[in-house]
Amino acid sequence: MRRAGLHLAVVSMFLPALAWSEAPDTPEHVVGTERYPFDTVDPRVEEKPAIELPDSVAPKLELLTDDEIAFLESGAARPFTGPLDATVEALEKRTPNEVKAWINAMQYVVDANRYVDGRDEPAIAFDTDSPNFNAWRLQRPRSMDPKREDGPVPLGRYGRYGGPPTFGGHPLALTKQDLIAGEVDVAIVGAPLNMGSGWRDSGERATVDLRLLGWPMGGFDQYVQINSSEVLNIVDYGDVAVDNTSTERSMQHVRDIVREIAETGAVPMIVGGDHSLEYPNVAALADVYGKENVSVIHFDSHYDAWWGSSHLISHGYPVYRLINEGHVRAADYIQVGLRSRGPDQTGFKWMREQGMRYHNMAEVEHRGWAAVLDRVVSEASEDGRKLHISFDIDVLDPAFTPATGTPVPGGITMREAITIVRRLCAEANVVGFDLVELHPALDPTYKTTLNSAYIVQACLTGLALNREGKTAKHYLSPLSSEHAIDDYYGDQQFYLDATRIEEEEAEASGDDSGLEAEEESEPVTLPEE
Amino acid sequence: MIAGLAPVTRRRATLLIALLFATGALADWTVPAKLQEQASVLDQAQLDFLASGVALDFVPERQLEHVIATRDAEGLSAFVNDLMSLAEQMAYDAERDMGAAPLNLNSERFNSGSFTTPAPLRDFERDPGPFSVHRYLFPQSGVPTFGGAKLAIWPEDLVAGDVDVAIIGVPNNMSSGRRDAGNGPNAMRAMNTIATPDMQSLVKPFETLSVVDYGDFSVDIMSTEITVRRVADMVAETAGTGAIPMLVGGDTSMLYPGVKGVARQHGNGSFGLLHFSAHPDAERFGDHTISDRQALFVLLKEGIVAGSETIQVGLRGAAVDADTLRWLQSQGVRYHTMAEIEQRGIDTVLKRVQKEVDKGPDAFFVSVDVSVIGPAEMPAAGRIEANGLRLDEVRQTIRHVCAAKDIVGFEITDMAPMLDLSRISAVNANALLNACLSGIAVRKAGLEPDYVHPLALDHGQR
Repeated sequence: MRRAGLHLAVVSMFLPALAWSEAPDTPEHVVGTERYPFDTVDPRVEEKPAIELPDSVAPKLELLTDDEIAFLESGAARPFTGPLDATVEALEKRTPNEVKAWINAMQYVVDANRYVDGRDEPAIAFDTDSPNFNAWRLQRPRSMDPKREDGPVPLGRYGRYGGPPTFGGHPLALTKQDLIAGEVDVAIVGAPLNMGSGWRDSGERATVDLRLLGWPMGGFDQYVQINSSEVLNIVDYGDVAVDNTSTERSMQHVRDIVREIAETGAVPMIVGGDHSLEYPNVAALADVYGKENVSVIHFDSHYDAWWGSSHLISHGYPVYRLINEGHVRAADYIQVGLRSRGPDQTGFKWMREQGMRYHNMAEVEHRGWAAVLDRVVSEASEDGRKLHISFDIDVLDPAFTPATGTPVPGGITMREAITIVRRLCAEANVVGFDLVELHPALDPTYKTTLNSAYIVQACLTGLALNREGKTAKHYLSPLSSEHAIDDYYGDQQFYLDATRIEEEEAEASGDDSGLEAEEESEPVTLPEE
Repeated sequence: MIAGLAPVTRRRATLLIALLFATGALADWTVPAKLQEQASVLDQAQLDFLASGVALDFVPERQLEHVIATRDAEGLSAFVNDLMSLAEQMAYDAERDMGAAPLNLNSERFNSGSFTTPAPLRDFERDPGPFSVHRYLFPQSGVPTFGGAKLAIWPEDLVAGDVDVAIIGVPNNMSSGRRDAGNGPNAMRAMNTIATPDMQSLVKPFETLSVVDYGDFSVDIMSTEITVRRVADMVAETAGTGAIPMLVGGDTSMLYPGVKGVARQHGNGSFGLLHFSAHPDAERFGDHTISDRQALFVLLKEGIVAGSETIQVGLRGAAVDADTLRWLQSQGVRYHTMAEIEQRGIDTVLKRVQKEVDKGPDAFFVSVDVSVIGPAEMPAAGRIEANGLRLDEVRQTIRHVCAAKDIVGFEITDMAPMLDLSRISAVNANALLNACLSGIAVRKAGLEPDYVHPLALDHGQR
């Protein structure tokens, strides 16, 4: 495992001006034209084995220099010529002249592919002469608008209604002071990042459409009979500015805004854009709660721990980058729903060595969803550790979420997703949540956007349960989950008793919405089947 | 996307001077006389700042005056301080801002996509030349290529086949509007309508010309900056074979490497540029080195085409303000806005465009951002703007220009197929490509640009 601290020590020999090395409370980020300060060698890439060519092919090699022969025998030539047998066979087909041209072509490719100082640009330069350089993320000073008190701003003429659409109809907050003054528990913020590959038209379509169709985010929940909008203070925190021409440049600002939310104690819920966002979201939580103090559960059909192209972030890299920079220990990563083509054995071997808890759809096929569900929730709730949920909607089957950048068939259902997200947000110590990769234009119906909103709602409901102390395993309302007329399952008395207990407790607390009452109350757990 | 961000331009110099010297001598804005008294509560630095006019980069003049008139001393002072703080944050600071996005220098595929497979490593042998992807002599379907054209992969295929026109996909997907232009090339391949005969001359472009599908050029999905280097190299190589590159975007940032690559072969300033687009793409002070909004500006700045030999048709929308038009005017660009079309009538304006082309240089590069067409016929335009030209108006002009001039390159950009389930946008984009192909074919056939075949009119019985 690579640790950022170690890297800083090593790298700083070459980089004398690391602005953040003395100021631990200033989160690290690249400024100016600094290079990336962490190691970038992918430990999973293994040098291919060298070969020793038999004397029989010596006549074919007569035009080669010693260096060229050494290259041909080295591991670097294996991707081109294959193992020993294939190499010998290929040599025998060629004349000595052809062999030389063949080897030189390979050497050209290896060299052309590498970064070479002086030949290649080490970074993607922005136009730093622009007088508008930071216009994309300049924030509007409060003094530009009429004075108002700090706190969430209702936008409607009739309470929640009659104004522009917000997430779940919740009031708007724009600054940290608003969050603090409003004692906000959950800040839903849009992040219209549009750079993930696959289909790209997410961006503001995702965050805007989630407001247009986002009415399920909050309000009453029938399963558990709780109203998250009453239990929690929820706000629409607007959208965070992104630069949709550079993911790398967007990362720092997203991290700043997510950190700003988390610093107030509110749960940041980031919705919209591509999965690169997992990186700044989790890094921001690590800024607030400390490195290695947050676990992550990553719902996705892809493992997103790819690495090794010329770029340091894309929607395929966030997991690796978070681990590489030391924000999260690999062992604190839980992956659910993986089923894309890759990774191959190298990737899974690495995850196993790192202690990552992966639950791909093969496990679901083998053990059944119910078993995997319980295992995942118990892993995620271990030791009450702080947890971030990163929910890529492509973990769902494309039947439920066709409008996503890289859909993969064979995913989980909405019924499964609602349960696991509600349970995690209730039973684990959730401090952050993101829902990503929504591309509404791919779905002419409202289905994908609505389902996405219901995933957010499942977490809001779970957080409300958690606040109410209903954190026992798989809480469901004893009233709504059993009609208790014919004792069909033979256990209906339990439901009747549990319902009565809940009613008495609510009455004793003098508040039937259940606010603030539940600290001492005994949470009800339905009997195991 | 920063929608409607006003370009900060004319006050730029003043900004620097004001911040450095805080002198009121270079006043760019004066507090109106009736507000002098309210403004007198401000200190000298604040007053100097207001006088610099920089505040108007952040707040409209009317609102500024309203604030001065209505705020108490404390409120006004806080407001001006906030504006001064914005002015300080606006520009690049190497200690604070990322000036360049770092890359993974240990990547073993750092430059992958920037070079093609060298011949000795191509494991399939065939003689050079374009080849068919079909089993049948008269195929009805199969692997889609542009207009059903033969495929060419390497420059030697273009040379061996004496290819006149190479149609190439450039699937860059970084539109500043709605995205998906990356799928434009394949959507246009899928709708097989590029090869239709020219209805005016009855010339069949695919018979008169040797046309190939030259595949796609590699793009870096995470960086337009890296993509433009690759594409310019490939376009130059293609033009070097004598074939006319016809590029199918991809977003309109590809205007830059398309024209630049052609110019590397033919010479900077050796041809004119006819640019159909709703957007002037002349953003001068962008924070990136290239994007669709900057493409024309960078071409002019680098002297690849001359402003005086650039013609723009169809301008409208948020990026067309007085500052931008004034700059285009200063560069000698012949721009034709939708206001001119409303004022003079479409026929008059298009005739004027044709005359400007006719009087212009012998050679032209024609570039079409599909946003020039109105949404009714082009709902898939990535940077869509209401109230555009009609397809046929653009088609006729393109056909004329491609028949009247030596075409050094053609490009169609920013058709995002996902936005149009009917795929009519792809069919219409193909019609524009066909219009230029038809024009080139008419010229090749030795006919006058506006030649009309007698059978094409009046049931041939006149």
